[in-house]
Amino acid sequence: MLKLSDHWRSATTRLILIYGAFFVLWGIVLVGVVYWETGRYLSHVVEAIVEQRARYLGSIDRARLPEAMEATGALDLRGVMSLGLFSADGRYVDGNIERVPTDLPIDGAIHALPNGLDRRGRTEREPARGLAMHLASGEVLIIARDTSVVDQVAVIIRNALLWGFSLTVIPGLIGGFLLSRRPLRRVREIESAIEPIARGDLGRRLPVSGRGDEVDLLATIVNRMLGEIERLIGEVKGVCDNIAHDLRTPLTRLRAQLHRLQQTGGGEEGIGPTLEHCIVDVDSLLDRFRALLRISELEDMRRRGGFGNVDLGAILHEVHELYAPLAEDNAIAFRVEPPLPATVHGDPHLLFEAFSNLVANAIKFTPRGGMVSVRTSLAQAGPRVDIVDSGPGIPSRERDAVLQRFYRSDWGRDSRAEGYGLGLSIVSAIVRLHGFRLRIDDNETGGARVSVECWVDAIAPAR
Amino acid sequence: MAKVLTIEDDAVTAREIVAELQSRGNQVDWVDNGAAGLSRASGGDYDAITLDRMLPGLDGLAVVTKLREAGVQTPVLMISALSDVDERVRGLRAGGDDYLTKPFAPDEMVARIEVLVRRQRGTGRDAVLRVADLELDLITRSARRGGSVLELLPIEFRLLEFLVRNSGQVLTRTMIFEAVWGYRFDPGTNVIDVHIGRLRKKVDPPGAAPLIRTVRGSGYRLAETE
Repeated sequence: MLKLSDHWRSATTRLILIYGAFFVLWGIVLVGVVYWETGRYLSHVVEAIVEQRARYLGSIDRARLPEAMEATGALDLRGVMSLGLFSADGRYVDGNIERVPTDLPIDGAIHALPNGLDRRGRTEREPARGLAMHLASGEVLIIARDTSVVDQVAVIIRNALLWGFSLTVIPGLIGGFLLSRRPLRRVREIESAIEPIARGDLGRRLPVSGRGDEVDLLATIVNRMLGEIERLIGEVKGVCDNIAHDLRTPLTRLRAQLHRLQQTGGGEEGIGPTLEHCIVDVDSLLDRFRALLRISELEDMRRRGGFGNVDLGAILHEVHELYAPLAEDNAIAFRVEPPLPATVHGDPHLLFEAFSNLVANAIKFTPRGGMVSVRTSLAQAGPRVDIVDSGPGIPSRERDAVLQRFYRSDWGRDSRAEGYGLGLSIVSAIVRLHGFRLRIDDNETGGARVSVECWVDAIAPAR
Repeated sequence: MAKVLTIEDDAVTAREIVAELQSRGNQVDWVDNGAAGLSRASGGDYDAITLDRMLPGLDGLAVVTKLREAGVQTPVLMISALSDVDERVRGLRAGGDDYLTKPFAPDEMVARIEVLVRRQRGTGRDAVLRVADLELDLITRSARRGGSVLELLPIEFRLLEFLVRNSGQVLTRTMIFEAVWGYRFDPGTNVIDVHIGRLRKKVDPPGAAPLIRTVRGSGYRLAETE
């Protein structure tokens, strides 16, 4: 399932958001400039009109002034002009302004009147720009013009801005959300296709939609790489298997001949022990090759014909039965605890082999008087089996390496990893075949803890 | 001793099988193809058959299937270069009695043939098995040696039963592990030896004539006398 939070993480969504933010910012700057320029222009127009009227009325003969003021008022159809004639001591003489505004200096220059002025027949004040000047008669003439038109333009521009944004940003966001869904879904498809590949099933490939987009391009590149890896691994494995296979036949014959020699001529002085050693060596060589081919066989196993519900407790009980005498002979306390009723899906023979190997190794590396313990616990996802011993443990840098087929420790002959031989590789192959997981840690005594997590877990998505 | 038919197309392998079986006193006939093998096996009175899995023409699987269809119950040891677990299961399901992977140790092959022959001759119906003064009661699952009861764990009884049933024969560690534990892999160098050692302590107490013997380089044998 795609979660909303996944969308926010998607590259497309992020790009759309960044682009959207830039768009909004630029829109605000643009509209701001338009608003400012428009306001400036309109104020300029208002000032020009006021100045022109002032010049005209100031030049008129005093006797004809009331008549000219009337005519000017009559021309003002929208009622935006304010005119007022006051005596030198500020008393009303004529015009539609009731009294001299206190914030307007009488200097003949235009000033803003953000609080407007008192006009006859009007109760609200409108912001205006105007000037006051002394006439030759000593009287004061005030001319002002409402600037509400500039504010109206600002409202228009703001509304346009809001509409514009809502019509572009909202569909943009929705579009971006939808747009980011498809690549994300493809990525999820690829993620689930990669899971078996990461588990070692190199025969799988990533899905290619055929649209030829970037995801397809990437999937094709990865697929080509996978093909090459599969071919190389196949070749290496083939060569190894062939060597193991081809050497096995002459070795078996050699062993047969040594055996026959031992049966017939073993009585001769000094030859018997030598022959015995030779046979032991050949046997260990044959064991190695058998183990190598066994790993190969396990790795090739694609069918899971022998799989079914396996009683883990019963398997571990059998393992205990098989190894208890060996542990006792080595004075090692060997316990399987506690017998939980846990069932897993798997091949009982292979699981027995894996746990036997782990227990045999634990016993092998635990000194006399030590302990080996097999503990089963139930995690949320399924049962988990810990094989804990009081041996020397496995150095952390060797933990991954011991699971590999051809690993040889740098620690020399004494190293525990070296002693594991191919046993752990077999265990690793069996665990992989089941889709389980093998972990190697220290335990509280400093010995090794090898855990088999018996659940098929999905590979955590990369964050 | 026994009359064995070897069906094997590879002359070198066949020579090895024949030589080893003959060296143990068996009478061996060899044919190199499936069709001839089938007619010999159907007609001849054999105690056991070694059958190669991969034969030109009629292959081993078909031979054993046809034999069983014809009602011939001669025990068959399938020998194959295919070590796959499924392959083994297929061979046994078709009617094979045992399965050995190439390359094999000849003594292991002979030991397996001898076990098959012994089983065919039917010593296994008795409720009580006896070797010398050792007595195994299969019904009460108890064992006695010279009149005194042996305290055996269940696994030890199963092990002793397998040894007694095949007394006088060499049994390899692999065969013991397969028969007693029912698993087929290498359980580690000495785990079977330890089990045999414990059993030996109980079965062959000091003073008694030892019954369980170690066969150097091969395995174990339970026998009355050398």
